[in-house]
Order: sequence, then C-alpha cells, then structure tokens
Amino acid sequence: MSAPPTTIPRGESGLEPREIDAVARSRGLAPEDLDVRIRADASSRWAVLTLYGVAIVWLLVGSVFGDIASMKLHWPDFLTRQSWLTFGRVRTAHLHAVNYGWATAALIGTSLWLMPRLVHTELKGVRTAIIGSALFTVGVAVGIIAVLMGYNDGMEWLEAPRYAAGPFLVVGGGLIGLSLFRTVAARKTAHLYVSVWYILGAFIWFPMLYIVGKWPTYVGVESAAANWFFAHNVLGFWLTAMSLGAAYYFIPKVLGRPVYSYQLSVVGFWSLAMFYSLNGMHHLVGGPLPTWMITTSIVASVFMFIPVVATGINLHMTVIGRFGALRYSPTLRFVVIGALCYTAVSLQGSFTALREVNRLTHFTHWTVAHSHVGGYGFVTFIAFGAMYYVVPRLVGHEWPSAKLIRWHFNLVLGGIAIYVVSLSWAGVLQGLALLDPQLPFQVSVERTLPGLYGRSLGGIILTIGHLVFAYHFWIMLRMPDLARRTRPPFHDAQPVLYTAEATADHAQASHERHRP
Amino acid sequence: MSAAPPRHKRDMMAQSALVALGAFAVMASAICVLVVVPHTMLRTVQAPPELKPYTALQLRGRASYIANGCLYCHSQQVRDPSFTTDIDRGWGSRATVPEDYVYDRPHLLGTMRTGPDLINVGQRLPDLDWHLIHLYDPRALSPWSIMPAFPWMFEEKRSADVQSGDHVVRIPGPRAPRNLTIVARPEALALADYLISLKRQYPMPDSLRARDRMAIGGVVHDGGHDRE
Amino acid sequence: MTLVPALVLAWGWRRGFFHDLEGQSRIIFDERDWQLARPWESEVARRERALAHGTLLAPTPGEWGGAGNDGAAL
Repeated sequence: MSAPPTTIPRGESGLEPREIDAVARSRGLAPEDLDVRIRADASSRWAVLTLYGVAIVWLLVGSVFGDIASMKLHWPDFLTRQSWLTFGRVRTAHLHAVNYGWATAALIGTSLWLMPRLVHTELKGVRTAIIGSALFTVGVAVGIIAVLMGYNDGMEWLEAPRYAAGPFLVVGGGLIGLSLFRTVAARKTAHLYVSVWYILGAFIWFPMLYIVGKWPTYVGVESAAANWFFAHNVLGFWLTAMSLGAAYYFIPKVLGRPVYSYQLSVVGFWSLAMFYSLNGMHHLVGGPLPTWMITTSIVASVFMFIPVVATGINLHMTVIGRFGALRYSPTLRFVVIGALCYTAVSLQGSFTALREVNRLTHFTHWTVAHSHVGGYGFVTFIAFGAMYYVVPRLVGHEWPSAKLIRWHFNLVLGGIAIYVVSLSWAGVLQGLALLDPQLPFQVSVERTLPGLYGRSLGGIILTIGHLVFAYHFWIMLRMPDLARRTRPPFHDAQPVLYTAEATADHAQASHERHRP
Repeated sequence: MSAAPPRHKRDMMAQSALVALGAFAVMASAICVLVVVPHTMLRTVQAPPELKPYTALQLRGRASYIANGCLYCHSQQVRDPSFTTDIDRGWGSRATVPEDYVYDRPHLLGTMRTGPDLINVGQRLPDLDWHLIHLYDPRALSPWSIMPAFPWMFEEKRSADVQSGDHVVRIPGPRAPRNLTIVARPEALALADYLISLKRQYPMPDSLRARDRMAIGGVVHDGGHDRE
Repeated sequence: MTLVPALVLAWGWRRGFFHDLEGQSRIIFDERDWQLARPWESEVARRERALAHGTLLAPTPGEWGGAGNDGAAL
C-alpha cells in the first residue's frame, strides 16, 4: 500500500443508523429527507446482517447433519455407537436446522430488509427484532439439542419439545412480528405491494399453525390430521409465503420492469391461501382417516394449479425476453431458478396427490426428493438470491469475488440436480417394488441403494457449495473500511448518456442518416 | 412514484386490515374444516374391546420409538386392499381404522417405508429375543437391512461380569461380537415389548363397517370381501 | 371456504384497492431504478428507457447482486 487512497465522499450504503444524521447534515438536509432507501437500509442493517449470519451457521450445521443422515442409509453401521448420532435423531436435527434454522432466518432477514423498502419507512423496533431473532435462534437450538438427546414430542416437523423450546420460539417470533407490523403501521406508501401481503400473511399464519400443531390434547388419528395440517402449511404459509414475497420484489427490481400482471398477483395470493390450507391430508392418502378429509385435500392439491399457474405466469413472463440478465445478475440467477422450482414442485405435488400416483410414491424416497425440490430448489435458491442482493447494500460494497459466486452457483445447482434425480429415481424403483407383493421387502431396499449413494454425492456437493458461500460472506463482512472508501459508493452513480457501444452505434446511425 | 402520502389514514388502515383479516379468516376456515370438524366427528370413536391400552412398559418403549426416530423409516397403517397391496404383502389382515389408534398419543402413522410397516409386527414377529437381536444389530438377522443398529441400548459385558437377572441376547452368525456377552438394557426390553404389542388384527365390528360405508360412499371392504 | 376470501376481496374492491393495479405494481421502483443502464438490455431498449426516464445512470459495482458489474458470467 503506497500512497493513501483518495478520500471519496462516504457512500450511502452500508450506513448505520447513527451515521444518518452526519450524512444528512453534510448535504444540508434533515435526516428524514435523505433518500428513503438509505434510511430504510440503515435501519434494518444490524437485524438483517445478524439474521443472515445466523442463517449461514444453520446452513452449515444442517448440511453436516444431512450428509451424516444420508450416508447412514447406505452405510448403516456408520456412527452407530452414540445414541445422539442415531439416524432417527440426526435426520430430525437436519430438518430443523435447515427449515427452522437456515430457511427461516434467511427469509426473516430478507423480510426485515424488504419491509422498510416496501413501505418507505425505517424499520420500527429494531432492538425488538434483534432480541426476537436471538430468542428464536435459542429456541431452534434448544429444540435440536433436545431431539439429539432423545426428547421428542413425536410428530414430524413438530418434534421440538413444546415446553423447552416453545417459549423461545413463540416470544422470539412474536417480537419479530411485532417489529414488522409496527413498520407496516407506520408506512408512507399509498399502497401495499404484493410482497407486503405475503410477509404479513406469513407472520399471521405461522403463529396460528404453531398453536394448532402444538395443541397438547390430540389423540389418535386426530393428531395425524393436526400434524399434517401444520407440517404442510408451514411450507406453504411460512416458507413459501416469504419466498414469494422476495421473488415478487427482486425479479422486477433487478430487471427494471414491473411484474407481468398485477391482477394475477391478487389471484395468486388469495387462491394460494384458500387451496394450500386444505392440502395437508394428502400426506395421509390411504390412511385411517375419514375419506372426505383426504378427498378434500386431494381436490385442493389439484386446485393448487390455479395459484401456481398465476404466480408462475407472473414471475416467468416478467423474465421472458430478458434471460440475458441472468448472466449479469447472480440474484436473478438464483431467484429465477427458485421461481421455476416453485412451479415445478407445486405441479409435482398436485400430480403426486392423485390417488393413482400416490399409490406408487407414498412412503418412498420420491417424497423426500420432492421436498428438496421445494425446500432447496425453491426456498433456498431464493434465499441465496436475496442475500446476494441485500448484503452489498448493507455493507456498502459489492461482493469481493465473482469466482466464488460462480463456484457457489455451479456447486449448488449441480448438487441439487444430482440429489433430486438420484433420489426420485430411487423412490420410483422403491414404489414399484413395494407394489408387487411377490417381491420381498428386501428388493425395495436393495433397488434404492444406487440412488441413495447418488443422494449422498449430491448432498456433499451442496455442502461444499455452502462452505464457499459462507466463506464469501465472511470475507465480505470483514473487508476493511479502506476498501469501502476506495470503491465508488453505491448510490452516487455516474450518469452516462450512452454506453461506449451505444456511442459507436449512434455515430454509425447518424452517419447513415446523413448519407444522401 | 415514491413517498406519496395517502389520502386518508383510514385507507391505510383498511388495506392492512384487508390483508390481515383476510389471511386470518382463510386460515381459520381451513382449521375448522381439517382440524375442528374432524375432532368433533372423531370424538365418537370408541376403543374396540380387544384393544388394550398400552402398559407402562410398552409406553416407555413407545417413548423410545419416538425418541430414536423409528417413525422416519417405519409406518403404522395398513391401507385398503382395493387401493393397494399392503395386505397382500402380509402387513395385516384388514385395513386399519381410527379405532385402532385411540390409545396413540400422538399417532405414529409414519410417511416412509424405508423399513416395513409395523402396526401388526407383534403378530408377525412375536419373539422378544428376535427383536432384541434385531435392535442390537439388524444385519445379524437381515444382511440386506439398512436399519441403524442400537448397540447403546445394550451392555457389552465380559462373560465373567454377567449377573443372574441379566437378559442375555445371543447374537447369531458371523457378526456375533467375540468374547463379549450382550445384555439388554431396560430401554431395549421396553422397546421390544412395545413392538410385540403392536397387533390390530381383531375384526372390525359391523357397527364400524356401517359408519365407514357412510363415509366412503357405498363400498366397504372387509378382509378382501367386497360388500355394497 | 370460497366465501371468505370472496367477501374480503369484494370489500376491497369497493374500497377502491384494485383500481390502479398497474400503478401499484410500480410502487417498488424509484427514479434511479428506471434510469439504470442494464447491460443485458438491447440498445433499443436502452434508448427507450432514456427517452422515458431521462439520462441513464451507470450501475454501481454489485448492483445486480454480484461482484463487479460486467457479469460474473456463468
């Protein structure tokens, strides 16, 4: 480092709230007159960066648990000496770490960044949101540790002991929700953009679902109905809702083009609410429940076609003709693929709910593969895309390495493709074998083994991709202040009349015009 | 078009209220349909006389089943023979019904069959020692099995340390641990007792068949015989 | 189940929430978003954008969520 760098006026992104006054004064403005984007980003900075950091830790933890669980299925004597590492506990730890840990934290962080931007006001109750996030994280950790120790409330997706983990989750989640609701209440926009509906919806729906799921008095098959009411709806009304809220923002925002049809947004939101909520019993097709309940869910699953096509048309048609943008924008790369996976996983779900198809796929690895198209291809990809967009605006400079982004993207795309293809194939073979009573059960197990090895391979590739992303996030946060000052500040953009090629074209065109 | 102040404060509130109340109402309706209504309907479900409540030992075993995630590989339901081949496969003599689960808190219906269905495993495999060997090392009995082993539910003692009350488990074949005697811990005994208690083969009484006829809409099956 | 959202939406329609949907879809953009020169847009598209919204601005490094500005291309 030779000569000291030229001091460029401090950028307007990466600001902390306490710096707002100084920046405003330096411009001769009152703080509230500073660009609302600057104020919004400054207000959400700590809450969002904290949540993103927590999310990435959960992503790594969840990936390791997932890899261990996957390997145990084809190497069943792997790590069997300790009770806390048995498959049945590690698998649950993985599910909680990636859904309630990674995906939830990443999407809440994104929602906390989005809301001030969407309603043009600072995030209200920032400290509340941060405390809430800490409590929620403790709740998830308590739940996972409890499960590994053998304490389990007994229903899938609801294993975390209600009296140990519950209070942290409820209070923490409630505080975050409070912050969001107060921000909406203080809004300055004339309208609520569709993303606001999805985020508000998520924070109204999740508490309702949690109460239903954790109600302590269920017995027998009624507990099964409540179980799958919760588990399916937590996907649609918590993870999907926040993911779609993000997609509806980032796709048009980067492209500089509004969504294809805002009318379809209205249709998509309300039909999702109506039909998704009745889907849950499709996890119990053929099971010992009143047939009318299961049929209702199958019908609702097929009707999901409506919101999925509406949202799909909206998001995909917005991108049509502009796929070139994916080359330039990692955010779009991830979010657009995420949106495509949303359409795919939902159509797959509608199809799989039909009794004749379900007969083959139920109880097989097909379902697990399907859940990863949704939880990873859709939700996780959108979270990645959102984080790539948001973090530079909070730390005041771009990501340091294009290469690391490329590696991350290629690894996770390749990894999930291998995962889904291997495991779906294994599931189909398993289902076919199970349907043939002449074939002993052994055959269904043996035929899945190649696919299970493939899934482990996919999972390891995903984990490497996550390590790349985590490393990149780390160096992004650790970049010294110097780097922030020597790069052009985010919002002080240089105007340009035409780009270089444009000037040449313009000259060419004008030359042609002037020819006789 | 950024910070345009709204015309009426009431309009601001109304938009948020529309989304919030609408979202709440839709979810509340769904809860009624899929949780509340079934609850009222299922309240009439009576325990069949042949089905006994779980004993304390079996409940401890059931807790171990839950704690160790057996649920994630094993189901506990037999589906109707008109629908699929569960019965042909030998997993039960009839489809299971809500009555079969009245003592289950919570249900363990399961969603994966990485391993076989277990609702009637007590009928198929009633031998305590079979289960103990299988829990200690599934591959000692089924070399193709991918089920995890649960050696920590057992003590591995030297022969000299075995006491008179110990339940010794003799592991067959080449996978038998050398120079060690395997003794079942209480957890293994409880879990095995729970598994052996899983039998839902008693016939469904006529009254229940009538109820199901109304629910399904005309066609009722009973151990493979069609009845209108 | 259909009645509830139908009523909610009907009430919303009467309150006028659905009258300017086109405008509502634009609420997330400010002037700067319209004016950014996007490298994937054709020359024609860029001229249209400049005509509609004024002088185009150069995007800041990392504008599209990446490192640098030229692409981090696949």
